[in-house]
Amino acid sequence: MALPRLGAVVSGNVGRALVPIVAVAAILAVLPSVWFGDSPFTTSLAVKALVFAAYGIGFNLIFGCTNQLFLCVGALAGIGGYGAAILTDETSLPMAAGVAVGTASAAIVGGLLSWIAVRRSLGVIFTGIVTLVFSLAFANLLLGQRDLTGAETGLVVTAAPAGLADDRVGAYYAFAGIVVAFLIVFRALQLSHVGWAFRGLRDDEMAAELAGVDVARYRIYAATVGSAMIGLTGALYAYSSGFISPATYAFDQVDVRVLVLAAFGGLGTLLGPVIGAATFAILDERLSTSLELREVTYGIFVVAIFLGFRRGVVHAVVGVFNRLFGRRSRGRT
Amino acid sequence: MRAVILDGIVLGLAFGLLGVGMTLVYGLGGVVNLAYGQIVVLAAIVASLVMNEGVSTALAAVVGVLAAAGVAVLLDLTLMRPVYREQGEERILLGLLLTLGAAFVIGGLLTWRYPTGALYVNISGEPISILGVPMAIGSIWASVIALVVGAALLLFFGATTFGRGVRSVIQDEIGARLVGINPSFVRTVIFALSGALAGIVAITSSMSGPLTVNAGFELTTFALIVTVVGGLGSVAGAFLAGVLLGVVNTVSAHYIGQYITSVILLGAAALTILIRPRGLLGR
Amino acid sequence: MRISGGPALLEVVGLAAGYLGERVIDGIDIEVRTGEAVAIIGSNGAGKTTLFRAIAGLLPSMEGRVVLDGKDLTGRPAHRISRAGIAYVPAERHLFPAMTLKSNLVLGAYPNRPDRETLELVYDLFPRLQERQRQQAGTLSGGEQQMLAVSRALMARPRLLMLDEPTTGLAPKIAQVAFEALGGLKEAGMTLLIAEQQVPLALSVADRGYVLENGRIRLEGASDELEQNPEVRRAYLGVA
Repeated sequence: MALPRLGAVVSGNVGRALVPIVAVAAILAVLPSVWFGDSPFTTSLAVKALVFAAYGIGFNLIFGCTNQLFLCVGALAGIGGYGAAILTDETSLPMAAGVAVGTASAAIVGGLLSWIAVRRSLGVIFTGIVTLVFSLAFANLLLGQRDLTGAETGLVVTAAPAGLADDRVGAYYAFAGIVVAFLIVFRALQLSHVGWAFRGLRDDEMAAELAGVDVARYRIYAATVGSAMIGLTGALYAYSSGFISPATYAFDQVDVRVLVLAAFGGLGTLLGPVIGAATFAILDERLSTSLELREVTYGIFVVAIFLGFRRGVVHAVVGVFNRLFGRRSRGRT
Repeated sequence: MRAVILDGIVLGLAFGLLGVGMTLVYGLGGVVNLAYGQIVVLAAIVASLVMNEGVSTALAAVVGVLAAAGVAVLLDLTLMRPVYREQGEERILLGLLLTLGAAFVIGGLLTWRYPTGALYVNISGEPISILGVPMAIGSIWASVIALVVGAALLLFFGATTFGRGVRSVIQDEIGARLVGINPSFVRTVIFALSGALAGIVAITSSMSGPLTVNAGFELTTFALIVTVVGGLGSVAGAFLAGVLLGVVNTVSAHYIGQYITSVILLGAAALTILIRPRGLLGR
Repeated sequence: MRISGGPALLEVVGLAAGYLGERVIDGIDIEVRTGEAVAIIGSNGAGKTTLFRAIAGLLPSMEGRVVLDGKDLTGRPAHRISRAGIAYVPAERHLFPAMTLKSNLVLGAYPNRPDRETLELVYDLFPRLQERQRQQAGTLSGGEQQMLAVSRALMARPRLLMLDEPTTGLAPKIAQVAFEALGGLKEAGMTLLIAEQQVPLALSVADRGYVLENGRIRLEGASDELEQNPEVRRAYLGVA
């Protein structure tokens, strides 16, 4: 049985594999006309949901696929965002250069963190703590280097083209495109030898290692690609929103949400982060009351979900589907 | 310089006390209690509410500690059951997520209901001179309490049957079950103890300055750093790490700056993981 | 074949157990009478450890009953079975590595404090342990760890002592000594249930034995009968 290599996916599978992505793309395309109704608030909400979905796909690749608990999503996004913003604000390079540099920087840092975790054989908790430390240290760095970053007062980002910055719907479509692109990349990886390695790695790392899977290499690879995704999103967000501050990429603003929504949707699944992000966006809209009460409801929601849906919504839905229609689970979503 | 170091030791003892609660739970079952800082805050708020009703400070402190222990037991009997049913990484992840949810609920409720809540235990008296440095009475009380509690804990774990039982569960859970120890019961008791310790920390740290209602996340972070540096499940390690980090904190904050200090403390935790994962006194 | 006469201390009836829904052992009927030494013989993978873990409560049983002196212990958690009087010494021993030898022993008596008499008994049986009381259990040699594991189990004054492959990791001479000690325990009145791959050693101490193969009892009988049995001789004693 020949395993499809990256970039040479067998055509019969391609159609079936892309169905969920096409469905998402279609929904995203018509959503503005159906739901937004010219409300800037709703549009912002949708943009935010898409941004978190994009973060989520990157995080999913790193944690969901290769078990590396990277609690530094916000920091990686911040590297992308601040890297891009500082570059274009200090020089006169166009936005594309900023995004490229931001993405590359985040990818390098993410890959490095993964390399360190692999070299020192750090388990889940220790990887989590080291990346958390990195997150908090990065936040402190931003605050400490006021000349460069503006510290708490933030940074105004000016290099975005008109269609992105002023037009909210423009930003919406840009991020929708990003999310669909990320989904395609994720799916392609899933179907290739890389995805095969990921599955083995998740199920039983030792067995995978013995079977010849270079666990280290795949981990670093996943971390680099995932971090690139996160960095790109962070950079793009800096331009579309026009203003960033340490709070934009703070641990309690980004990482906590991303972890919860990715786990809720289903770690390792294709649509998990998208479903999670959408759910939490709707939740946010319903709970527009006091910030603290929102936090409480959030907490209750998290507890209730993980007492029930241990493996996330996608797996639960697939499970119900299989039971109803008696199909044997193909083990891949 | 001497003043800075002594201040560091006072802070360090508080750090140590904070770390002990978390390291015990982590060592026993691999669960990082992300709601720990919120339990400290809860004890502080309860104590301050009771004090506002005119109750004496000492009694209010006891009530606060009991409240924290009670909430901890509640958490253990509800959320921790499904966590301990899992093994390995599933357990770690579920523990993180459920305690995170609990942290949101507890923290959110407290900040919503008491947005300006804070505990300040004011101990009247003239500063006492230690090694030529005048130390506030509050700091001295806090340190003495921390030392006494620390000694009591070491005695408990070293010399009592139950205490030895706890250590055995940390070292080899199956072995413990084979000699008749119920790990589940031990975990509940220790969770309650960690809650009580959180309460004590709330009281002692509010002796040197007010403990506010939004200090939760920061406290959890400090507890985690101390736990990591001190070593999983080690009481002595937590105190040792606490004092070291406390001194580093005050020295660095005094001579260098606030932000760098935070980075240094965080870096200490990362460095420990990378260079000596078992911590100072861990196995 | 039902053994007649004398009350059984341990009765295992129709026991089935396994992992992830698969039965590793099935239909197990075993009896151990007070004061007897019974051997469970079988090769690797036959299910000896699964059987012992199920009896000791470390593994939930899928079917069947475990009865100790008339009391049904089926489904009880391990710590309750330990307190009921079954002491299990697994092949991995599961000592407390960072505690002293003495502390390990003391914990054996949990929740009671160890009584002087039992401690002396143990030290008489294994004088080496008394020499090394203050040493950390993790630093002991294989043979000493085995002695410690057995002694720790004895500290609770159990009704039944179960040992899974007590000669694991022991040099042949030490294995011999270990079984001599077990023989001594039997003389002193201890009821033993021993799982062992090394059949001659096992049958040297045991009164009776069961042969476990592919998760089922294949043969049972008095130890000298088993020793003479041609199938046993071929499969386990390497005799053509």
